[in-house]
Amino acid sequence: MKKNLATIFVYTLLLLWSLVVIAPLFWLVTTSIKDKNDVFLGPKFIPWVDFIPTGQWWVRLFTVEKDAVLYPYLNSLIVAGVSAFLTTILGAMAAYALTRVQFKFGPMKNEDIQFWIVSQRFMPPIVSVFAIFVMYRVTRLLDTHIGLILVYTVFNLPLAVWLMSNFFAQIPRSVEEAAWVDGASLLTTLFRVVVPMVLPSLVATFLFCFVFAWNEFLFALILSYSRTQTVPLLIASQHFQRGPQWWDISALSTLAVLPPIVITIALQKYFVKGLIPIGK
Amino acid sequence: MIGKTARRQARLFLSPTVLLLLAFTLFPFLFTIALVFGEARFVGGGLQIEFVGIRNWQRLFHDERFWNALAVTLRIVVLAVSLEYLLGLGLALLLDRKVRGQNVFRVLFIVPMLLTPIAVGYMWRMIFDVGRGPITGILQRLGLSPVGWLTDTSVAIYSIVITDIWQWTPFMFLILYAALQAIPPDYIEAARVDGASGWQVFRRVILPLLAPASIAAILLRVVECFKIVDTIYIMTGGGPGRSTESMTLFAYAIGFRAFDLDYGATIAFSLFLAVLMASMVFVTMTRRLREVRME
Repeated sequence: MKKNLATIFVYTLLLLWSLVVIAPLFWLVTTSIKDKNDVFLGPKFIPWVDFIPTGQWWVRLFTVEKDAVLYPYLNSLIVAGVSAFLTTILGAMAAYALTRVQFKFGPMKNEDIQFWIVSQRFMPPIVSVFAIFVMYRVTRLLDTHIGLILVYTVFNLPLAVWLMSNFFAQIPRSVEEAAWVDGASLLTTLFRVVVPMVLPSLVATFLFCFVFAWNEFLFALILSYSRTQTVPLLIASQHFQRGPQWWDISALSTLAVLPPIVITIALQKYFVKGLIPIGK
Repeated sequence: MIGKTARRQARLFLSPTVLLLLAFTLFPFLFTIALVFGEARFVGGGLQIEFVGIRNWQRLFHDERFWNALAVTLRIVVLAVSLEYLLGLGLALLLDRKVRGQNVFRVLFIVPMLLTPIAVGYMWRMIFDVGRGPITGILQRLGLSPVGWLTDTSVAIYSIVITDIWQWTPFMFLILYAALQAIPPDYIEAARVDGASGWQVFRRVILPLLAPASIAAILLRVVECFKIVDTIYIMTGGGPGRSTESMTLFAYAIGFRAFDLDYGATIAFSLFLAVLMASMVFVTMTRRLREVRME
């Protein structure tokens, strides 16, 4: 009896928090299928009961407003995709070097170098952005894809190096050592031996970096104007231009959060498995 | 073992990362230091910085808007991070057992932290809306009077905190859940065999074992939360009045709206100092706590 009560208690709380998570998202998605009046005349909650859902805003998004909407999505895809790719490759190379070869630059050894790299993540972006803005103004990188790609690559590198050092430290070195004895280079062992062993982890790292670049707002706000407008910028500017036209921006926001949701579901086992090393 | 060629290659492997970080974090850092002691002016295509000593800092210390932004940021950090920790710990403990649909719960509990903050801010901006938002609707149906979630100067900051909690409790949950999963079951069983109650097991076994993960999670969240800007930018724009203006938003407004680069950089740099001090205080406190426990 006591045990049953405890079980009911646990499930009640779990379902309660699930509701806390889902309810706002439910509001966001349903608002994108509401008619104007159903938005303006006070809150309507349940489709088909409180209001008749309409797909007109979604249709508009992909027809009349196609150019305005599609370009920022394309920009975000390019910027997040390319930067995540670069971050993963560069991060893997750095992490591999750091976990396999002893370095000594002055007083700095491997742990110090790694700590320095990872600690860069702690710098608030607003501190660096003044200098980067001036740097980009001089080199004409403002409002370019390359400019944003570079910034996102750099700001995800600490995370990538840290994640991948953990992955690389876990795999046994005997196979690589055999290859080294045979005269294989570091490049060969990394891409022929190690990468195939940690491919799922590499994919996970790529997707993490992708999501963070996809979501980023402050750098984009300051370093791009129109040509490289990203999705978060689009949502913000529409919000200030259109005010209470909730349906459009809800549809845009739904589109914005869709990739992260899909990626979370795809990656769910990594979240726990990949993170256990920090728990210790 | 590793030969000379491999060693040279390893250096090549490491150098892009190091060079990029030097160019995008160390150089900007030094440049910002030059800005905070100077007056910046755009001349032609370049920038001219004239040394003016501590003038920017004097201005900062006499600027009420700065003290307000600092207080707002600190309040958000303290409130949001402590509640996120408690909720995250609770959720991790709840899910660290045999539960039906565990995977579904886990995905649900993690998902908000990966969603675009601007979209999340917009979502909550609608939810907190007084005229058309669902909360007002529910309150009215219950016969309660509406609350100016985003329009009342004393309430708006809590709406920001609620949004932050919704988005970032998942981070605490994730790290604490991973740490809980790493505790060997024998530890808990041994304590139970010795006759410890559920509360005692939690207080004497689980909580101490979670300490390192807890410290790491809280520290990371504190550092991140100090930078808060996206949700505020879209939900209140720092208002009403300046009741929700965070440090980053303030620095942005001065530096890139008013285009006062040197003063904006000074504000940003003071945020960096605040983050540094907060993490140092935190690290010293936990170290002292550990020493006390050792005795």
